[in-house]
Amino acid sequence: MINRSRAAAAALVLGAVVLAGCSNKNVSRIEPDTVTDLSGSWNDTDSRLVANALIQQSLTDPWLSRYTTGHGGETPAVIVGSFRNRSSEHIPVNTFVNDLENAYINSGAVTVVASDAERDQIRAEREDQQEYARADSRARLGQELGANYVLQGELSSIEDEEETTRFGATRKEKIVFYQVDARLVDLESNAVVWSGQHKIKKYIERKPFGL
Amino acid sequence: MNRYLMIGSLIALVACVPKKVDEQPIMQNNDRVPDASATVAAASAQAERDRAAAAAAREDIQARALAGCAPAICDAVVRGELAIGMNEVQVLAATRTTEDAWAIRQAGPSTVMAPGDERVVPSDFVGNVAMVQLADNRVSRYAYTEAQGIRMVDNPAEATTEGRAAALAEQLEREGDEFAARGDLDAALDRYDRVSVLVPSDPMIDYKIAAVLDKALRPYEALIQYQLFLHRLNLETIEAEGAAAAQLAEAIALAQQRIVILERQTR
Repeated sequence: MINRSRAAAAALVLGAVVLAGCSNKNVSRIEPDTVTDLSGSWNDTDSRLVANALIQQSLTDPWLSRYTTGHGGETPAVIVGSFRNRSSEHIPVNTFVNDLENAYINSGAVTVVASDAERDQIRAEREDQQEYARADSRARLGQELGANYVLQGELSSIEDEEETTRFGATRKEKIVFYQVDARLVDLESNAVVWSGQHKIKKYIERKPFGL
Repeated sequence: MNRYLMIGSLIALVACVPKKVDEQPIMQNNDRVPDASATVAAASAQAERDRAAAAAAREDIQARALAGCAPAICDAVVRGELAIGMNEVQVLAATRTTEDAWAIRQAGPSTVMAPGDERVVPSDFVGNVAMVQLADNRVSRYAYTEAQGIRMVDNPAEATTEGRAAALAEQLEREGDEFAARGDLDAALDRYDRVSVLVPSDPMIDYKIAAVLDKALRPYEALIQYQLFLHRLNLETIEAEGAAAAQLAEAIALAQQRIVILERQTR
């Protein structure tokens, strides 16, 4: 009797080990521009869509040519300021903000000035040089470029969901709406010289029994 | 009968069902998000073309502006400051702009240059330029947009640091008067204090500061300011200059009265 129960326990353990060994975990590298929607929450695709839209809108808007025309061909200097996340999700806004900043720099149409946190670090280094660096290699003080505009923005979201139960099976439906607004504000006059916007609406449906 | 009832209820049911529009998803799994590099490349090419064209235009303007200019005008062009006597090209060179930045209107020998777009105002080293007026292709007057309003410059003295300070002081004093009239004594005092820094030897500003302090029930400070006002006036000199004394007579009399009253109060 004891031998039989020991054999059953051993078989159970062996079965569990075999089952665990057979678990189908698979990790693969995929192209970053591939759309991969799993839960329906904000993801890299949304970030790229927002970045593309804002890049397109801001680099083709007349504010840019207006500035260069009014300043003898000079490019405007822009500080990328804060983008607030006012949605209910934890969303790292820096992904699309950095895409936008990169586009500005690489286009050469806009001069990007370091943000306040970056400036503090650079100033500390420059001050350090005044004391310790060789005179002919020192970065000079008072040569910073003043920005003309600050880029600011926010991300907001609206959610709506419903659960319906029929014959004991629950069907879930959810709508998530994201709106990203970006604005370029003139540092001297506070005038908004450009305003860009991108909206994403998602319909997420969870059917019972995978039907 | 039953058939009609059934058809009728079916129609009613269909009418009550919400209409559903099946939109196709914009993107599905395994689609690719388009790249923004084409937009960036197009903007880059356009910026390069604009920059090259503007650089060529500015070089041309700079060369024409500095060819045969008077030393003072040449200095102003190089410093990037407007000056009385400049011609149109020198104005463009001093403001580092091209003609595209300006709306230029001509009426006989007179030319007026105003910003072409009020959202992008041309500026020189001193400030944002509101207007430049030329007579016979020489700048006769120009104006800046400043915090206290438009500041006109129509002679070389007004373009100096002292001239600018005097113009600014005048604008601030006007603002101070308006605040005083509205009863905002703190704001009025703030403006008069700023004027007294810019124009330290104006006795009327001392009198206005004293009067505001007096109205604000700050007798000790008011007393000092009234005394300072009288001290600055140098009464003997004023008495010798009858006209000046007549202008300030009322202020002097009031200041003397207030000193007597305030001295009694503060004892």
